[in-house]
Parts: sequence; structure tokens; C-alpha cells
Amino acid sequence: MTLWLWLAAYVVVALALLLVPLWRQKPAPEGWRWQTVGLLAVFPALTIGLYFHLGAPTILQELALTEAQSSYDVEGMVTALEEKLKSTPDDAEGWYALGRAYIAFGRHADAEAALRKAATQAPKDARIIAQYAEAMALGQNSLDGRPLELIREALEISYEDEKALELAGLAAFQKENWAEALHYWRRLLKLLPKETEQHDAIAQAVRTAEKKMEGTP
Amino acid sequence: MIPELGHLALIVALQLALLQGVLGIAGAARGSNAWMAMARGAAAGQLLFVATGFLALAWSFLVNDFSVMNVADHSSRFLPVEYRITAAWGSHEGSFLLWTLLMSAWTIAVVLLGRKLPADLHARVIGIMGLLSFFFLAYILFTSNPFMRLHPPPANGSDLNPLLQDPGMIIHPPLLYMGYVGFSVAFAFAIAALISGKLDETWARWVRPWTLMAWVFLTLGIMIGSWWAYYELGWGGWWFWDPSENASLMPWLAGTALLHSLVVTERRGALRVWTVFLALVTFSLSLVGTFLVRSGVLSSVHAFALDPLRGLFILVFLGILIGAALILFAKRAGAVKATVGFGMVSRESAMLTGNVLLLAALATVFLGTLYPLLLDALDLGKISVGPPYFNAVFVPMMVPVLLLLGIAPWMRWGGESLPGLVRQLRWQAVVAVLVGMTLPFAFEAWRWPAALGSTLAAWMMLSTISGLHARHRATGGLPLAAWGMGCAHIGLAIGVAGMGLVSAYQSEKTVAMQAGDSASLGRHEFIFRGAEEVPASNYSAMRGTLELKTQGREPAILLPEKRIYRSSRMTMTESAIRYGFTGDVYVAMGEPLPEGAWSVQLYLKPFVGWLWGGALLMALGGLLAALGCRNQGARP
Repeated sequence: MTLWLWLAAYVVVALALLLVPLWRQKPAPEGWRWQTVGLLAVFPALTIGLYFHLGAPTILQELALTEAQSSYDVEGMVTALEEKLKSTPDDAEGWYALGRAYIAFGRHADAEAALRKAATQAPKDARIIAQYAEAMALGQNSLDGRPLELIREALEISYEDEKALELAGLAAFQKENWAEALHYWRRLLKLLPKETEQHDAIAQAVRTAEKKMEGTP
Repeated sequence: MIPELGHLALIVALQLALLQGVLGIAGAARGSNAWMAMARGAAAGQLLFVATGFLALAWSFLVNDFSVMNVADHSSRFLPVEYRITAAWGSHEGSFLLWTLLMSAWTIAVVLLGRKLPADLHARVIGIMGLLSFFFLAYILFTSNPFMRLHPPPANGSDLNPLLQDPGMIIHPPLLYMGYVGFSVAFAFAIAALISGKLDETWARWVRPWTLMAWVFLTLGIMIGSWWAYYELGWGGWWFWDPSENASLMPWLAGTALLHSLVVTERRGALRVWTVFLALVTFSLSLVGTFLVRSGVLSSVHAFALDPLRGLFILVFLGILIGAALILFAKRAGAVKATVGFGMVSRESAMLTGNVLLLAALATVFLGTLYPLLLDALDLGKISVGPPYFNAVFVPMMVPVLLLLGIAPWMRWGGESLPGLVRQLRWQAVVAVLVGMTLPFAFEAWRWPAALGSTLAAWMMLSTISGLHARHRATGGLPLAAWGMGCAHIGLAIGVAGMGLVSAYQSEKTVAMQAGDSASLGRHEFIFRGAEEVPASNYSAMRGTLELKTQGREPAILLPEKRIYRSSRMTMTESAIRYGFTGDVYVAMGEPLPEGAWSVQLYLKPFVGWLWGGALLMALGGLLAALGCRNQGARP
């Protein structure tokens, strides 16, 4: 709708620039009426016609629709999940998914709470424990203390858990234990599918750690 | 929303451009004041709407609107904000939009500054420029639409070509295009003169300032482009005889010839047909240059065939435009022919000879640039025409031009006695030869490019300065235009000196260096302090640290980089340069070697900066001359 108002405004400005010089001529030039009528008829019609031919008149609705859908989906999914978990509080997977969604929204305290519930329900699931550790670390801004203990716990359950390996490597890197960081990350690298963003990021981290290790005597 | 508003604005501008063209030319033909006034209104509207379109595109880049295909293809979230805006003209589509924007800006300048011109000439010029704009807008909208939309939009764009992520590349295209588009004014004036049959001294006086300004922009654009190639491509070359460079050199040579021929026409009424011809050729070459660089024909003639519509559109347009202009020229040139004569030895004849030589040099560039493309297009094999050809053919053609440059300003209009001229210039000639032959002894060895360059430079400088001095003494003052001429000629002399010296005495060395290693080149010692990783938002770089020690100078730290751009995975060399009056020290990182070593390229470029300093002075000279035109009462 607004687009068509803009189009009308454009046409008015363009016609004014053409017609005002025409009308201001004194004496009035021969055939000025026909010229005015011709421009008033042809110019808007041609503008609309060309725009329909060349432009994307429906793109605005389409984009608005996609945007509405995508934002509706995430928000709606979270609300629906919160509702569902009220009636089934022992659903570990549900709490896990909710926790990850909270992390994506930056709601770290909520994430930690949700993942604690998940971890209580499934104390032997390395994936959930490692995620719980991450949420806690994000909340307190450090991997030290309880998060690191949780990471070790997760690794004891499964030495193949991606999140646990990543965080264990990061913790070692922060303490400048380059060799240890490399151990976890190289192991992780083997597990990750190649040509993915995560694989590239970890490969980059491995190279950085290797450089650091060469730098220290 | 914004991209659609930009698209609509271009559609409105297209119609206004057509009306501007038709009403301007028909209005002049029928003597209709109303139509001529409407053409001016259309020109104002065209600028308004093209600017709206351009801003809409820049905005889409700024806010990362990847639903616009052009943004998705030429930008990314990681791209720093200044390059996101300049990416708006980094693409084929965007650069044509920029061209059109500049075209409508020049049109408005003509509308406003030409109000004192005879009404019919003014309207014809505006009309012809309107038709040119109409073509460009039609080309943009029907074959190269920058506002094509993607649905659904990608999450990120594929980034701007790393070569273009550089300050030099931000200003190079607009300057170059200002030059190209500016020559359209001379073109429009020439066509208008051919239509009306009125071409005289006043006509030349109107055209000259416009041509000078276009030439100034083109000179600056070429200068920035050459400087960019010097520091960005990683091996310190400043001119490669690359087709995209030749594409800008050709209109520059023709434009330079046009400037001089306009002076003859303005002062003496002579060379009218030749001047008009040059005005047509200069703008046609600007279009050919744009076509070469922008159609993709250079990267491969076969890439051209992938999107034949674009190339065909330009080719057909070029054919119509140049064909129509030449037919008009052939039919009407007789009507504007001058009856003014001049002697065999006169300033007119010297300038005409210089002009013809410039055009001959231009023809060699044209041949060397287009012949390989033509062969390739016809599948007759690939040949590569490079510096050996151009150095052997172009340089000898330019030497007499530079010699004439020293003589012509000393000559009188109409006729001149040869012995008198010899007497006036003998000392300058003797001193120039002496300087040129002895100066190279100051360097490590006597080399002929240095001797040639410095002889020519000394000749141009001495004769120009002594000429201005003599004129000053005779008339008690110098007009601004004479200052401009002196400035431009001395600038060229400085540039020629730089070219001769750098090509004779540049040196280079590639060394493998580990941290702590040192290498020497000339009087300079380089100590490698190691390389470290430096991340940035859209690339990651290995930055080497070199300590540069030169006898008699403060030590300096040079930080060359090897960058890997994230989205495109392209590797770029970022050189480090210590600029100096007598030469640059230039360092670039080569390849990483085992055990933390790097291959490092070291270059010495003596007097290379004089090239750009000279070009800057030439541009300044052009500017002074353009201002001088107004002072002399450019508008009757």
C-alpha cells in the first residue's frame, strides 16, 4: 500500500517538473492542453506498467510473510514448550531443548535452570551435562569451578561428546595448557563432519593453539 | 521497501531521460521555448530520481539487505561498513548506476551553467545528454538491474572482491567515471554544432572548460588507479599495459589531443573539423573503455557470451552512437569547415602534429588492446600483447610529442621563422641534453631509459619555464590559463623523469627469512622479526615485521601482510612501503616456508613517487586552465 503511495508521489513530482514549465509559458503555447493530458495519461500508466514488468510488486508481502513465520516459529515454540513442560516435568529432552533455546536468546539464568532440571532427569547423559556446564559458564562468565567439574563428569560418561570436548579444550586453552587444549580439540575435529562451519572454526582453533605451543619454549 | 523505491525511481528517471532527449532536440528544431523548458525540468527530475535510486542501493548495502541480489553477491555481514557503502559501485550493475548518476549530475551542471548559451544550442546539448542517459538507464533496468530481489533471502552475502576492499578502489571508479562522463558534454556540444552548422571560436570557448574538467577527473582517476595497482598488487608495478588500464588511457590520449585542438579553434578559428572529430572520438572511446572493462569481455571473451544480452546491448548502442555520430560528421563537417590558414611552421601546425602523434600512439594502444580480444573471439588463437609491444611502439611515438611540447608554446600563431625559433631554444636544448646524459652517472650505472627520461624531462621543464618567463616579461603578467599550461607540462616532465629513473634503476630480491635473519638490497638492510597472525572482521592476516635500516635515515618498521579473506577464500598481499622523495622501499610477503620461515620480496623503487606527483600537478594544471577559461569571459 505504502509502495503505491510512494509511486503516486514520484509521478506527481516528475509531472510537476515537466508541466509547470509548460504552463508557465506566456503566451500559452499551442496544444498545451493536449500535451498536459497526454503526459497525465501516459506517464503514470507507463510507470506502473514498467514496474509490474521489471519489479517485484509482490516481494514486500512475501518477505513480510517469511519474517512473520520465522519469528512466530521460535517464540511460539518456546512458549509451547514451556506450557508442555508444566504438565510433563520429567521430560529431559524437553528441558534440554528449552535450555538451548534460552541460550540462543541470551537468557542464561533461565537456561541454567532448565538444564539443571534436564540434568536431574538424565544424570547419565553426557550431552545434557555438557550443555548444563555451558549454560552455567555463560551465566557466571567463566568455566572455572562447577562448570569444569561438570565437563569432566560428562567426559567420564562419554569421551565422544562434542560439546564436552570443545569446552574442555577451551578451559585448557584459557589456562594456557596448549598441549591439553590440542588433545581435546584434535579429538573433536575427527568427530565433526568436514566442510561445516563448526569444523572450520575448530580447525582454526587448533592452528592457533599449535602456534602458541611453538611460541613457548 | 527501500529497494523497491529505488527501482521505481529508476523507472521514473528512464521516462524523464527520454522526454529530456526528445523535448530538448525537437524543441530546438521547432524553436519551442516550452519544450526546451520542459527538457530542463526533466533533467532536474532525472538527477533527483537517479540519486534516489543510487541512495536506495547504497542503503540496501548498508543495512545488509540480502534480499537484493546485488547485495547478496557483493557484500557480507563481515564487511566493514565503509566498504559496504562503496560495494554499491563495486558490481557491474552498481557501477553503471554510478555512471548514470554522474551523467545526470553533469547534465544539471550544463543546465545551470549554460544559461547564457544560445537557447537552441543549450537545448540540443541537454537533449543529447538526455538520450545518452536514457540508454544507460534502459541498459540498467533491462539487462543489469541492481534491484533484482531474492526470495527467500540468504543469511549472508558472498562478500566483496578483496581487491576492491581498499581506499584507492573507493575513489578510483568515481573519478574515472567523472572523466568519462564529462567528455559526454564535449560530445553533445559537437553533435549540436554539427546539427546547427554553427561552430566557431565561441563554440570552442564554451566547450573548453567542460573538457578540461573532465580531463582533470580522468587524470586523477588514472593516477589513483595506477597508485592502487602499485601498492595493492604486491609487486610494485605502476603500469601493466593491462586492457583495463589501456581502456582508460585511450580516452585520456584523445581527450588530451582535444584540449589542445580546442585551444587552436578558440584562438584562431582553425582546425574546427578536427576538433569536432576529436570530441566525438574521445567520448566514443570512453564508452568503448567502459564496455571493455564492464562487459566481462576482458576476463574472457567467452564470459561475454554467457550473458550475451548485456554485451549485445552495449555493442548495438556503441554501433548506433558512433555510426550516427560519424555519419552526421561526414555529412555536416563541410558546413563547419574553417577557412583560416596557417603556416608550415606555426603554433597551429606544431599542435596539430602533436595531436596526430597522440592519435597515432592511441591507435597503437587500441590495436594492442583489441586485436588479441578479436582473435580470441574468432577462435583464431590466443596471443598475449604486453609491455614489450607497447614499450617498442608507444614510447617512440610519444618522444616527439614531448619534444614538441617544449617547442609549441614558443611559436607564434599563424607563422614563425625557423631560425629565430632555433636561436630562442638552443640553450635549453643543449642544457637538457647535458643534464640527461650526465645525470645517470650519479647512479650505479649509466642506463638509457634514465638518460632518455631525464633529457626529455629537463627539456620540457627548461623550455616551459623559460617560455613562461619570456612571456611574463613581454606582457607584464600571465593569465591563469598559462599557469595551468605550465603546471601541466612541468607535471608531465616530472612524471617522465620518474618513469625513466624507476624503470632504469628499480631492483628487487626474493629471500627466505626466519625470525632474526637479515638481508640487504642497495643501501638498505632488512631484519625479519617474524610473522604473527592478526585477525580482522572479514579476513585473517599473517603480518610480518621487518626492521628497515638505511644509512643516514631513521630505522623504520615495515608491516607487510598476507591476508586470507573468509568468504571468498582469496589470498591477498598487502605490501608495506616506506615512501620517500628519492624512492620507495617496498616489501611484500611471499609464501610461508617450512620451520616458520617466509619468502619475503624486497623492492627498491627509485623516484617512483614522481609519477603520481607529476600526474597530480597535471591535474592541477588542468584545473587552473579551466578556471582561466572563466576569467577570460568564457560566456559571451
